[in-house]
Amino acid sequence: MQLPSLSELNLGLTVPALSLALWACILLVIDLFIPRDRKSVTAWLAAGGVVFAFIANLLVYRDPGVAFMGLFVADEFAGFLNIVVLLTAFIAILMSVDYLKRTGIERGEYYVLLLMTTSGIMFMNSANDLAVVFIALELLSIPLYVLAAFRAPEERSEEAGLKYFILGAFASAFFVFGAALIYGATGSSSLPVIVDAVGRALAGEGSSLLLLLMGSGLILAGLGFKVAVVPFHMWTPDVYEGAPTPVTAFMSVGAKVGGFAALLRILLVALPALTVAEGDAVAGWQTATWVVAALTLILGNIVAISQTNIKRLLAYSSIAHAGYVLMAVAAAGTPGVSDQATRAALIYLMAYMFTNLGAFAVAMAIEKDDGSGTSLDDFKGLGRSRPLLAAIMAVFMLSLTGIPLTAGFVGKWVVFQATIEAGLYTLAVIGVLTSVISAFYYVRVIVNMFLEDGEGDPAAAATPYVQWAIYLTFAGTLVLGIIPSLVTNLSGPVALAVASLVP
Amino acid sequence: MEATGLSLVTVVLFLPLIGFAIMLFMNERTQAGAIRWTALGFSVLTFLLSLGLWALYNPDDPGLQLVQRINWLPDYGISYYVGVDGLSLLLVILTTFIMPVAILASFRSHIFEERGREKLYYLFMMLLEWAMIGVFVVQDLVIFYVFWEVTLVPMYFLIGIWGAEQRIYAAVKFFLYTMAGSILMLLAILYVGINAGTFALPEIIAAIQTGALSFPFDGLFSTQGLLFLGFLIAFAIKVPIWPLHSWLPDAHVQAPTAGSIILAGVLLKMGTYGIVRFCLPLFPEASVAWAPTIATLGVIGIIYGAWVSYAQRDMKKLVAYSSVSHLGFVVVGIFALNAAGIEGGILQMVNHGVSTGGLFLIVGMLYERRHTKAMEAFGGVWKALPLFGAVSLVIVLSSMGLPGLNSFVGEFTILMGTLGSNILGFVFALFATLGVILAAVYMLYFYQKVYMGELDKEEIRNLEPLHWSEKAALVPVLIAIFLIGLQPAPFFRSMDASVDALVRHVDESVPEVVVGNLQMPE
Amino acid sequence: MVPLWMYLFVAAALFCIGAYGVFARRNAVAILMGIELMLNAVNINLVAFWRYQTPFVMSGQVFAAFVFVVAAAEAAVGLAIIISIYRNRRSVIVEDVDLLKW
Repeated sequence: MQLPSLSELNLGLTVPALSLALWACILLVIDLFIPRDRKSVTAWLAAGGVVFAFIANLLVYRDPGVAFMGLFVADEFAGFLNIVVLLTAFIAILMSVDYLKRTGIERGEYYVLLLMTTSGIMFMNSANDLAVVFIALELLSIPLYVLAAFRAPEERSEEAGLKYFILGAFASAFFVFGAALIYGATGSSSLPVIVDAVGRALAGEGSSLLLLLMGSGLILAGLGFKVAVVPFHMWTPDVYEGAPTPVTAFMSVGAKVGGFAALLRILLVALPALTVAEGDAVAGWQTATWVVAALTLILGNIVAISQTNIKRLLAYSSIAHAGYVLMAVAAAGTPGVSDQATRAALIYLMAYMFTNLGAFAVAMAIEKDDGSGTSLDDFKGLGRSRPLLAAIMAVFMLSLTGIPLTAGFVGKWVVFQATIEAGLYTLAVIGVLTSVISAFYYVRVIVNMFLEDGEGDPAAAATPYVQWAIYLTFAGTLVLGIIPSLVTNLSGPVALAVASLVP
Repeated sequence: MEATGLSLVTVVLFLPLIGFAIMLFMNERTQAGAIRWTALGFSVLTFLLSLGLWALYNPDDPGLQLVQRINWLPDYGISYYVGVDGLSLLLVILTTFIMPVAILASFRSHIFEERGREKLYYLFMMLLEWAMIGVFVVQDLVIFYVFWEVTLVPMYFLIGIWGAEQRIYAAVKFFLYTMAGSILMLLAILYVGINAGTFALPEIIAAIQTGALSFPFDGLFSTQGLLFLGFLIAFAIKVPIWPLHSWLPDAHVQAPTAGSIILAGVLLKMGTYGIVRFCLPLFPEASVAWAPTIATLGVIGIIYGAWVSYAQRDMKKLVAYSSVSHLGFVVVGIFALNAAGIEGGILQMVNHGVSTGGLFLIVGMLYERRHTKAMEAFGGVWKALPLFGAVSLVIVLSSMGLPGLNSFVGEFTILMGTLGSNILGFVFALFATLGVILAAVYMLYFYQKVYMGELDKEEIRNLEPLHWSEKAALVPVLIAIFLIGLQPAPFFRSMDASVDALVRHVDESVPEVVVGNLQMPE
Repeated sequence: MVPLWMYLFVAAALFCIGAYGVFARRNAVAILMGIELMLNAVNINLVAFWRYQTPFVMSGQVFAAFVFVVAAAEAAVGLAIIISIYRNRRSVIVEDVDLLKW
């Protein structure tokens, strides 16, 4: 067997993702020489790595290609999501510096793990082979298990780690079993090869079709766990509540981006032609995603109403938002709408990234050193003691609700448009009705901040780094909301990203 | 329609936002007075410039004027597209007219002593003015929706922070009610826009007129019927059309005086305006088919609102329910679907804004002095403050529809329109007239309880005289009442061309026989 | 030769046994073992598919090798978390880990 030469591997294209993993390993060693009381140096070094990867990603972006003999694609789709993920990582580091210090868990490994999982998500964005998706999935998940338990021996954090680990590993097993079945049915694990084999399998005997359907079902379930959609969502509130807040913030965005990247790529590159019955116009997985999206929207939004802890509330809200992205994924199952729907999903993810990170950053600012102080009542009086912070939080909440002039509205807008274009009217109606329900609990946060009186300054922990994180996400939320053409432009980055995925 | 250069409409629209930006950098403690005056200054300036709109406006042209269009999301067919025509011109001026009145009414309000945050208050006022003008001038469905939703936010805070005891309940109810309605409208907007390929209203209407675009209609709940309902429910909640009115009394009673004035004066009109602007031209067949039903609800609203008003002992509640009654009139007028009905409807929107705004103003002034809204606590105010009593009488009579004052003109035209309509006819006019009579009953009851009678209460005898800012707020209201009442012709003339075009469009879209015989295809 | 479906059958059975273990066992270590069983079922599948369908392309084998590695890494992290919990609470029974509502 002929081994490929080094130049054929196109290693240059993997620099953004690979450099981050390498830098993480080096940082682990460097960290040994950084004195205990100056661990913020590690944070800056980690942030430097993220910035480097960001620049490298922009360079690769301009000259897309395929690396590792087709296993790894550095296309605009990956490039765009990498931007989202690297921004997330950068903001998460900003949020972490003081948080780790005041909660007494300041260790260098934290940043190493954060870089590792970021690199995993970037591999996930680029993975073009089921095996690579699996490796990337694990590279993304395993550091997150540890990060969730990072406040050990604090019991709630340990518990979050254990729960996340058990359910995450369980889900990975589902995913990889599904991947194995698809490999069996098509004879390849490479996504572009699978798409041809699917056509042949459909035309041929029925047993392949059965394997394909089972395989894609298991893959959907496995990735569904990662992005936390109903009925695979049970871990989310517990893990989000127990994990250190910056980790929760990162997890709520980063893990979702990675999961949806893999989901979109697998469904649209490998399985767009997977139809259940002869002559079906839409992909067979549309019905499944449709139903899951509807359930996710309904359950996520309704259960969120009864939450009294901001972290749990944001956890259920993140379930609900995964439902909105899944609406777009379902719409992508209709041929002709898939490009528009994918665009909607990407825009939604970006809008959600800014808003949700910001909301978590504010939640972190009111959290006490011992991890308490995250109930909704703790927001009372914030409008008086910190008017600016409260106003920004209000904008985040309005953005999550989907009120115009915020990023959230643009996201919802494009998702609903894609859903209607795909003819999924019932799903669109469910989407808007659940948006109204969501207003109920988001508005309650605003009520507590401005309309109820509290004592003292709840946001004593709003240190400069955290404030920078908040301003950054706030700016993103507003800019996206007021000038959405930056991302919705048909010749802009998102459209290019879509074009690289959907032919 | 030239679309380049800066349009005066854009200037009027963004002026409040400039005021907002300037006030943002003022210090609440050291410059409280300056903030107040900046807010007033900008709102007055906006009003003066909006009179410029009136001057530049050519009443013979039925189309949009002073248009400006800038691409916002070109790939989705969404643009910043503003302009005024006969349907919106008066309402823009009404908005800019009400704002200075509302701001003046806040100058001496007790709410800042209790709740503080005066700067935030005026910031929200400016934001609200911007959003409300936006609702009336934009011609793009999506941007319209944007402004429509944005009006919610400042009003929500105005009620929630500076309202009375039950303010949080009222604010949340207001928010959720309105949002629930408008989000369905979002879906309908999306459907219309996707099918038309653009969200620009004039282009969509042109496509309907040429037959390039049509929404299938064969029954009340066909595609077009449902789209019509999607829009109508959003508007009906805002108007509010009975039975969707239950948020209104809560919001009115809890809101601060200025909030009530704006709510009654402008926000409710957004609903009726939306019906005229969007429901009728976009879905002509459905409008005709649904007209009797909606007009019936309007009539029920007229009677119900008047009846409940009469039963109130709380002055603010009384005025709030009277709004339900008056807005029912407007709805009946619009769904008469002829020129007289619609023109009367639009003029009545303005009249209601002025009169009811004025009513809330005087109720607010009474409340400032006695800290209660119960009518029993008053009596003999006329004798204590004769001038105030006289002014109040004018406003009360105006709200009743006394000939020579503004509301009479509007109500009379609506009744003419209803009688002449081949959809509604005599019975509707009869019940609507009953509403006028009932209005006289509860309004006079209110006046008699509060202003007449013996001056036997110590507190009333020592009633504080009007502050200059309160007088300044009342003067423009009086001017408007007499101006419209005595010189209504120019107001009608400004609407004629546009309303005629609208009515013709609806008539042409619906076969003549169908309108005449009320026989809609099943 | 043993037909392919037999391998698939064994793998599916193993996968289900593993999944059952995850749901039914209360001991965290036993749950971990269940997950390992599931991953091994995947390996049987992969190798069988490779041998029967594409014996000249190595991807199935390579995939299986990756699954080993990942399984080992997962076990390492999982055991570390379990040990840390055991230190704190002297128990690895998942029902005892209940500060957060499930």
